[in-house]
Amino acid sequence: MIDDETLDRQLREAVPYINDDGFTARVMARLPAASREPRWLRAMVLVGLALLGSGVAYLLSGGGRFVREGMIQMTDFPIWLLLLFAFGCGLVVGAFAVIFAIRKTPEVRDLARLRF
Amino acid sequence: MELTDADLVARVLADDDQHAFGELVRRHQSSVRGLLRQLTRTDVALADDLAQEAFLRAYKKIRSFRGEARFSTWLYRIAYNCFREDARRRKELVGVDEDQWQAEQDPQTVDPGLRHDLMHALSLLPLHERTAVVLCCQNGLSHDEAARVLDIPLGTVKTNVLRGREKLKRTLAAWVPN
Repeated sequence: MIDDETLDRQLREAVPYINDDGFTARVMARLPAASREPRWLRAMVLVGLALLGSGVAYLLSGGGRFVREGMIQMTDFPIWLLLLFAFGCGLVVGAFAVIFAIRKTPEVRDLARLRF
Repeated sequence: MELTDADLVARVLADDDQHAFGELVRRHQSSVRGLLRQLTRTDVALADDLAQEAFLRAYKKIRSFRGEARFSTWLYRIAYNCFREDARRRKELVGVDEDQWQAEQDPQTVDPGLRHDLMHALSLLPLHERTAVVLCCQNGLSHDEAARVLDIPLGTVKTNVLRGREKLKRTLAAWVPN
């Protein structure tokens, strides 16, 4: 009977190289149009708009007066309440960070699909 | 110096460079189309349609390629998923059952020539064995890579390759001219 090595070699040799014959061109013709603007330009536009929005908000709020007043009000809070507030903020930010990290990590995401 | 697959992928990611993606298509079209032709039992038109769909999906999902596996392995997985979805639509995923395989392996019905016999024998294997044999024995993927492509346990891939090989050997033992 034929051995594994010979069988594998014959299997490889049995499949000839398939000529392109316009296949690549057909795939390329169906690709969605490439984005015209460079990636850095998009980032600059986003940062610029964020800065502009922050500037407008600062001016409309009377030079950020509400922020100063809020900080002054917070100094009247008891220390445990401030700590609780800081801890809560940390938890919320941490939870979002973990969720986004899981969504971006296939290995962790795949854990849900493991079969035991 | 020729760019590696990783270099070309990096160009696609950085600049949305479609020429770089075109080079990736040119490099891998033969193996992907060959794989799909085996899976579709040499239905060339369907295999080429699925191959096109696979490359389009690869382009759209290229940001999910993390470089942990070879680009070809990642591509095979997409191609296999395209085939599976199409087969599900056509309700043909079951493949040939054992009885049918036994009935069809009559040497008298096959043209002479080892290559033709081999390809015919391969096409008669059940889908799960055929896929494993094509990926591991024909395309040179490791069992681990094939398990990733097929999204099945490593042990199942090994079993399928073993069974597929044994069936091919039995078939060829009868067909190979002395």
